[in-house]
Amino acid sequence: MDVSSLPISPSHRGKLISAGYSSLSSLSSLSPSRLALDLKISENEAVEILKVASVRSGQDKIESGSRALVNGAQTAWDMLHEEESSKCITTSCSNLDEILSGGIHCKEVTEIGGVPGIGKTQLGIQLAVNVQIPAEYGGLGGKAVYIDTEGSFMVERVLQIAEACAQDMLEYNTLLRRDSQACLVDKQPKSFLDNIFYFRVCTYTEQIAVINYLEKFLSEHKDVGVKVVIVDSITFHFRQDFEDMALRTRLLSGMALKLMKLAKKFNLAVVLLNQVTNKFVEGSFQLTLALGDSWAHAATNRIILYWNGNERHAFIDKSPSLPSASSPYTVTGRGIRNSTSNCKRVKLM
Amino acid sequence: MRPAELLRRPLPTQTAKLTLGCPILDRLLHGGIPCESITEIVAESGSGKTQLALQLLLAAQLPVSDGGLAAASLYLHSEFPFPFRRIHQLLFHRPHSPHNPLDRIFIEPLHSVDHLFDVLPRLDILIPKSNIKLIVIDSVAALFRGEFDNTAPELKRRSGLFFKISSKLKFYARKFGLAVVLTNQVTDVIESSDNLRIGNPVSLCTSGRKVCATLGLSWANCVNTRLFMWREEDRVGDDNVQTRRFLRVVFAPHLPDSSCEFVIRREGLFGV
Repeated sequence: MDVSSLPISPSHRGKLISAGYSSLSSLSSLSPSRLALDLKISENEAVEILKVASVRSGQDKIESGSRALVNGAQTAWDMLHEEESSKCITTSCSNLDEILSGGIHCKEVTEIGGVPGIGKTQLGIQLAVNVQIPAEYGGLGGKAVYIDTEGSFMVERVLQIAEACAQDMLEYNTLLRRDSQACLVDKQPKSFLDNIFYFRVCTYTEQIAVINYLEKFLSEHKDVGVKVVIVDSITFHFRQDFEDMALRTRLLSGMALKLMKLAKKFNLAVVLLNQVTNKFVEGSFQLTLALGDSWAHAATNRIILYWNGNERHAFIDKSPSLPSASSPYTVTGRGIRNSTSNCKRVKLM
Repeated sequence: MRPAELLRRPLPTQTAKLTLGCPILDRLLHGGIPCESITEIVAESGSGKTQLALQLLLAAQLPVSDGGLAAASLYLHSEFPFPFRRIHQLLFHRPHSPHNPLDRIFIEPLHSVDHLFDVLPRLDILIPKSNIKLIVIDSVAALFRGEFDNTAPELKRRSGLFFKISSKLKFYARKFGLAVVLTNQVTDVIESSDNLRIGNPVSLCTSGRKVCATLGLSWANCVNTRLFMWREEDRVGDDNVQTRRFLRVVFAPHLPDSSCEFVIRREGLFGV
């Protein structure tokens, strides 16, 4: 079938033909970004053209799932395209972003654990601030839900990190010599604080209640654009003596399922901060993430923060897509940043 | 309790803090001991932990404009006897106040961990009734001394109790806006390659010995802020030994790695 028969504007038709797209089949497996690049049009316009083409050719590959055999399923092609075009939340440390292949990903549950003082809460706060970086600066322009179970969330520290983030964005502007009208209104540190929905839970029942409530909360605030849910820490209230350990396991796996569902349904990132404990393994004590082996399956990715000599390091312990690697980072007054020492950078294992 | 009530909106731009009674020490802690979280002071015996705790008991009574909490305090002590003489000394050097400061310090001796669990539920009534805004437990380590065998199941049970205590204290801290200060002791550590590093310092040293905080890794997960006090003996001249004292931030969610020197005088602890 011919492209010339499509009900699109003549200029678009002309561009299609001169770019070499003469038949509908040539458009059938094309991504909108590719088409936009080829025709030098906006991605929205490309999506429109492809939609018209797919309707014309009787297929519906752009809309996810309707060609699929099972309702609600997605073709792998659609999933790949989605993954490629989704943005990550930067950690403000390029080395760390590198081993995470961009940063913290949406639609995934990432667990981060480490000894006290290694920087878990710092990383949590950094992510709660960085998720708010507008799209113009490569961020998600979203908001954060921060569930604090330990009381480590200090507003003064959040304001400090937020101020550094705003300063970095201004610097980015001046480096690119952007027109001041074109760039976004400069963010006040306090506005960063307003975009964090902060829940303080003091018992395990409160923790479960809030996590169950999140689905309703996120549905009601869909236009608000929460893009990250951080739980600091997921484990604190569960390390007390539970008389019924089976109950604890049930509660934990229920929580894990709920969080994974939230991540997928609302297309956000879930970050769980965990503690470490000493486990007697093969004759010696080793540091492992708390909550035991059954919890290990709750998260998509697991990152362990540890001390290596005098430096803080992050290690990808488990991930379906990221290779095992470790990278150094530091915690500065401005937040999480690259470490400035001279030793070798990212180490692949 | 509805989950929506747990959402704190809007967030305050400042956390309430309790002054230590000295501007230099306050600067180290960016204002003082924060409320609604647990601050732990780790030091060997005779370093000044109890002194600092007594100083805080008095500072809590100061008006908020002076960095206090304008409230009473509760001192739970597991070490005996209560330092009456020292607190009288501190009071003597204080500016005169219309009411007796000792009236606003509540003391409860603690004999065991079970005793602590008996005392905690009573706080629900005691705290609002007496307007308590500071709880000091001196020391947490003494409560657990000698009560637990060194076997794996006993240590696991002990660790479960840590989280229970911490959870309850944080619950009251949040509910009533309290500052909670705990003191902990140190134990000598043998130099080895797999010494666990917790916090900013590579290792803790006091009086020339390598030490670590007691109660282990589990307990370290239960406190929000850990401060370390230590002593150094400096040789000054031929046979003159001077003791210098320091306070350092081991870990804290809002503080960088920093330390400062202090002295203990009759009027109290002061930074230099």
